[in-house]
Amino acid sequence: MGEFFSNFATEFVETAAYIGIILPALLRGTLVMVQLFCWTLLLSLPLGLPIALGSNMKFWPVRIFCRFYVFVFRGTPLLLQLYFFYFFLPIAFGVRMEELTTAVVTFVLNYAAYFAEIYRGGINGIDRGQYEAAKALGISKTQTMLGIILPQTMRIILPPVSNEAIVLVKDTALASVITLGELMKASRGAVNRDVDATAYVVAAVIYLMFTFLLTVISNKLEKRYSLYNQREAG
Amino acid sequence: MAKKEAGMAIIRHEIKEHLQTGDIILEMKHITKKFSGVTAVDKVDFSMKKGEIVAIIGPSGSGKSTFLRSINGLEEITEGEINLYGTTGMVFQHFNLFPHMTCLGNITYAPIKVKGKKKDEIEKRAQELLELVGLSEKRDVYPIQISGGQQQRIAIARALAMDPDLMLFDEPTSALDPEITGTVLSVMQKLAEQDMSMIIVTHEMNFARNVADRVIFMDAGKMIEEGTPQEIFEHPKSERLRDFLNTITR
Ligand SMILES: Nc1ncnc2c1ncn2[C@@H]1O[C@H](COP(=O)(O)OP(=O)(O)OP(=O)(O)O)[C@@H](O)[C@H]1O
Ligand SMILES: [Mg+2]
Repeated sequence: MGEFFSNFATEFVETAAYIGIILPALLRGTLVMVQLFCWTLLLSLPLGLPIALGSNMKFWPVRIFCRFYVFVFRGTPLLLQLYFFYFFLPIAFGVRMEELTTAVVTFVLNYAAYFAEIYRGGINGIDRGQYEAAKALGISKTQTMLGIILPQTMRIILPPVSNEAIVLVKDTALASVITLGELMKASRGAVNRDVDATAYVVAAVIYLMFTFLLTVISNKLEKRYSLYNQREAG
Repeated sequence: MAKKEAGMAIIRHEIKEHLQTGDIILEMKHITKKFSGVTAVDKVDFSMKKGEIVAIIGPSGSGKSTFLRSINGLEEITEGEINLYGTTGMVFQHFNLFPHMTCLGNITYAPIKVKGKKKDEIEKRAQELLELVGLSEKRDVYPIQISGGQQQRIAIARALAMDPDLMLFDEPTSALDPEITGTVLSVMQKLAEQDMSMIIVTHEMNFARNVADRVIFMDAGKMIEEGTPQEIFEHPKSERLRDFLNTITR
């Protein structure tokens, strides 16, 4: 019994010491992951909107373009898109790009397509009567979209958008294939070097911490945006 | 000066001075509306004067809504000409309040955004309108928190906030429980007493009889018969109107 505990204690101390050694590298990877995550969200969330509005336009060239864009970026693997832009961007712009830039560009284009479809679904889910009421009041089309339709879509799109954000945390791992030094690549480096799977476990815990944080934030937001939809004693 | 819009169909006439009671406020000529094959409104001529209250009755699918909605451009007419000497406001069967705004927000939004009204100025006016519809205490609640009858009264206040010259009502009480239609109808009655010009598509025959100056019976896209409530309800001339009145009074 005593032997078991002392073995366990030694094991524990050794593992803790090992984690202490690999942690700085993993945290650097985490920082890159966070950068990729933030840039992607920051740029693709707004970019999705014009694509969504374009997909609904009567003017067909814009509509076809936007729908085709979504079709291509949702219909092909993100992994393939990463390889493609890693290869294509230096040729197109004549300069070697940083891996992070390449990854951000790819992720933004990809996620904008997903967000566009979510927005479009949200916009189309709004009752026609809302447009009619706005028109009957003389409210312009732009103002109707900005002040009446889009605020109402918030409640509808929030759950799928936060879902995509959680998927994005995990998708950042794909960027390791274009040698971006994010968390996945950092942990794989440690595992291969030390022939020890601990780094994967630590990476998993870090990913989980982020997805958990996002779940909490999205629950908070959902509560806020569903306020007007709850029947309270009034 | 007149401004044309919606496929040149609606001609909005700018009015320099306020219309007098009795002046023509709306004149429609040969209005036709087709929906891929279906002729919803069939060469209808219609005109009304300021202060007049017109009730439109008729069976389901006879084109009442389509006719009404063509007046403010919610339906683009296929043929015809609409001369409008003033602005319109509309009240819908299903209220169509903006659910993300409070009752006050619903009322003040368009005046602020469309007319550039100042917030405190329009809020004072909104307060008056809330009093008119008897819902001052619902000022800061959201539409979902009040009953259908209350929502419809807020919708009336919202339309009135734009100071329309002509109010269009499309079956304002059809979606309501019978026992609360009275609250909405009494608000409309008040408007009638204030000399508001109104076109009311309705199934409330008693209301039409008591409030309307003129009743129009529509069937199959045409205005079959029109006259005073007395003429329409007591002495219907056409077979179709008699049949219709018989079916609705059981
Ligand atoms: N958007 C549309 N597309 C196709 N057909 C339509 C459309 N709106 C109305 N119609 C048709 O036009 C005709 C008139 O419809 P309308 O809604 O004006 O009738 P209504 O008199 O208001 O009937 P109700 O009393 O049921 O409201 C009907 O045959 C209807 O099916
Ligand atoms: Mg109708």
